[in-house]
Amino acid sequence: MSPVDWYLTLAVGLFCIGAYGVLARRNVILIVMSLELMLNAVNIALAAFADFIPGAAGRGTFFVLFIITLAAAEVTVGLAIIVANYRNRRSVQADEFSEMKG
Amino acid sequence: MPHGDFHPVLFVIVAVWVLVCGLGVVAFRNIVHSAMAMVLCFLGVAAAYVLLAAGLLAVIQILIYVGAISVVVLFAIMLTEQHHAPLGFFFNRQAIFALPLAVAMFVVLTVVLVTSKMLPNGSQAHNVSLAAIASGLFNGYVFPFELVSFVLLAAMIGAIVLARREDQP
Amino acid sequence: MHTIIALIPLLPLAGFVATLLLGNGPLKRRPELISLVAVTGSWVLSMIVVAHVFGAHTKTIDFNLFTWVSAGSFHVQWGYLVDSLAAVMLIVVSTIGMLVHYYSIGYMRGDGGYYRFFAYLNLFMFAMFTLILANNYLLVFLGWEGVGLCSYLLISFWFQKKSASQAGKKAFLVNRVGDWGFTLGLFLMFTTFGSLQFGKVFAAVPHVSPGLVTWISLLLFVGAVGKSAQFPLHVWLPDAMEGPTPVSALIHAATMVNAGVYIIARSYPLVSHSHTAMLVVMCVGTFTAIYAACIALTQNDIKKVIAYSTISSLGFMFMALGAGAWVAAIFYLFAHGFFKGLLFLGSGSVIHSMSGEQDMRRMGGLRKKLPITFWTMLIGALANVGLFPFAGFWAKDEILGGDFAAHYYVIWAIGIITAFVTALFMFRLMFLTFWGESRASAEVQDHIHESPRVMTVPLVILAVPAAVLGLVIGLPPDTGWLHTFLQPVFFGVENEHFAWAGSGGALMAVSLVVVVLGISTAYVAYLRRPEVPARAAARVPWAYEASYHKFYMDEVYDAAVIRPVMGFAMWLWTFVDVKVIDGAVNGLAWVWGAFGRALRPLQTGRAQSYAFGVFGGLFVLIIVIRYVWGA
Repeated sequence: MSPVDWYLTLAVGLFCIGAYGVLARRNVILIVMSLELMLNAVNIALAAFADFIPGAAGRGTFFVLFIITLAAAEVTVGLAIIVANYRNRRSVQADEFSEMKG
Repeated sequence: MPHGDFHPVLFVIVAVWVLVCGLGVVAFRNIVHSAMAMVLCFLGVAAAYVLLAAGLLAVIQILIYVGAISVVVLFAIMLTEQHHAPLGFFFNRQAIFALPLAVAMFVVLTVVLVTSKMLPNGSQAHNVSLAAIASGLFNGYVFPFELVSFVLLAAMIGAIVLARREDQP
Repeated sequence: MHTIIALIPLLPLAGFVATLLLGNGPLKRRPELISLVAVTGSWVLSMIVVAHVFGAHTKTIDFNLFTWVSAGSFHVQWGYLVDSLAAVMLIVVSTIGMLVHYYSIGYMRGDGGYYRFFAYLNLFMFAMFTLILANNYLLVFLGWEGVGLCSYLLISFWFQKKSASQAGKKAFLVNRVGDWGFTLGLFLMFTTFGSLQFGKVFAAVPHVSPGLVTWISLLLFVGAVGKSAQFPLHVWLPDAMEGPTPVSALIHAATMVNAGVYIIARSYPLVSHSHTAMLVVMCVGTFTAIYAACIALTQNDIKKVIAYSTISSLGFMFMALGAGAWVAAIFYLFAHGFFKGLLFLGSGSVIHSMSGEQDMRRMGGLRKKLPITFWTMLIGALANVGLFPFAGFWAKDEILGGDFAAHYYVIWAIGIITAFVTALFMFRLMFLTFWGESRASAEVQDHIHESPRVMTVPLVILAVPAAVLGLVIGLPPDTGWLHTFLQPVFFGVENEHFAWAGSGGALMAVSLVVVVLGISTAYVAYLRRPEVPARAAARVPWAYEASYHKFYMDEVYDAAVIRPVMGFAMWLWTFVDVKVIDGAVNGLAWVWGAFGRALRPLQTGRAQSYAFGVFGGLFVLIIVIRYVWGA
């Protein structure tokens, strides 16, 4: 296995851990945190490409920069929504937000 | 050790660090413990960036993820009442299905990516310098750069509007 | 001449339409006028045609009016054939038809459906004329069905009465069975001969396999059995007496029931080639003759007795056809039309004067009060039983003589016995009705009066040919005028020359003796010593019951046909319709409902479950793309 493969394995592992968190935990804040983990995993993979693959030298870095930035924006807005929602329902359990049922 | 080249020992240490902290995020019952694990995980990712000769990324990671996002998360935790998550490692029925799926996904993705013929086998470091990044940001990538600043602006405004109490102006 | 022939059926058809349209409106006071004009016109034209046909040489006129059906290789013309046979039929149909129309004016007076009756009568005349004048089997079938329809319409004329409407249905359905046979015969005929035209079919008969000829003949005969009420499709005729008496006289004595005899006679070139078919025709006819006569012996309704007598007489005609006595059969048909029509109209007169009473047990002593009816019916009865010198004697005797000459001795014996029984029941009818003390209630007795002239005049007119027809056209036997007239139609039929002395005369004497015996037995049994019949019936109750209940034919049909069909229909309803078809439709609906119920839990409303689905789908997609597609 080449170095890229090692880093990819790490990235996939972190990604799946994050996926588990998104699917299995009920606290929505925790879900958002797991989402961040997934984003980080992707960043690692991209940085690995930037380092070890000739064609992706600069582009990988830029991609990661933008992802980090947008992730920050997304987390902000997401958590703001959660807090606002909490004010109305007094709950952060994902099970309880099921108006779209049926 | 040449800058950016692959060093197995360091890589293993960083990898274990990142993965263990990630597991901690999803496994702790107390959400504050999870938040702490998340911070440590971000630090580990920054270390990985360092290993990949992406110094700028490492610094930005720490600044933004550890410094800003983690704080926002902690604030959100503080603002919302937390119930102690019930029982052990399996928290609800969904976990029974999610765990196998996650493991299977891991296996499949790894196999697919590792056995694919698309990626070359180099071990030479090629990452760019800070100067190149800076110049790229203002020349080639100026358009996305400006757009992202708009997005940030919108996010800020949105967050403020959303989180405001009803009776405040 | 062609125009005249074409007009004969056309006038009554126009009369039918006009009477229906105008009968209840402008012509409300005398709606029968149009139909009378039409039918009288047809009679006049028929006489002209007949005169033309038997002038100079007996000619045959065969022409087509237009192409009726043209479908691929199947072509049928609408055309008419007038030869001696058709001429004989024309005389019978048009004369009796006209007389019945006039008779009906008196009989149906005051009836609510008066104009409808005359419209139907005209329609019937149209159909009957078409039947006898047609020059191909399909057009015959049109008329055939038409008379069946009119029979239904007229039998159930008083449809408010349940028994009448049921009788109409029965007639139609039983006829249908016969028609089914007829239709199969038509199909077979077309595939064998390629045409339904008389000329073409008859010319090609020698070149076709005898088996096919037999089949076609037998199938056509099935139709005749239905239409002419032979066993076992005779059950509709007695019930058809529910219709007004003029209907019985016209349709069920003189015209429609003759259609079966006519079609077999017309198919002479076809049927005579098949020994089997001839045998079947003869046996069915013979059996029917004696069977019906035995039933007539115990019936109490005057019209039913005459109805069974009709069935018996028709049996005689088929017996003659089957035995090869073609001309004798037509002769008998000719005479029978007149005397049976006379008997029916006479009985109608009796019923009319008895204020609707039809049961002979409540009649009696009408001789003095209804003189014209009495004398004309007497002539009719004597003609029917075949007493010398009335019409029936010559015709019946020729049939029996033909049987004997063709060496069908058993058939001849049965015929003789039937003649005896016929005399017995016919004069039982006469004695019970016209002689003795009146057994009617006082109220009915007060109203007894001779019928109006519109009714009695036709009776008298009919009595004349009933009396003298035999002498005029049947003498001398086997070589008389009728034989010569019909020779071209029944070419090739060998007739033994009749000898007054020797076997011919002896046979005549025998049948005469038998008839006289029958009449005198009836005289003794019903007049001199009225207790005899009751005692005889008590001696053999099973025979009496069997005869009275028409040998249980209706019950047999009920058990063998009606019950199974109704049971099948019920089964179809409760099982097939409710369970299978409804079950399938409902089941299909249930399946879709089940799908819905099964899939509904997927929509939890929680984003996490949906995320699960997305992730799972991604997983599957990766596997598919990488390993199945080989990307």
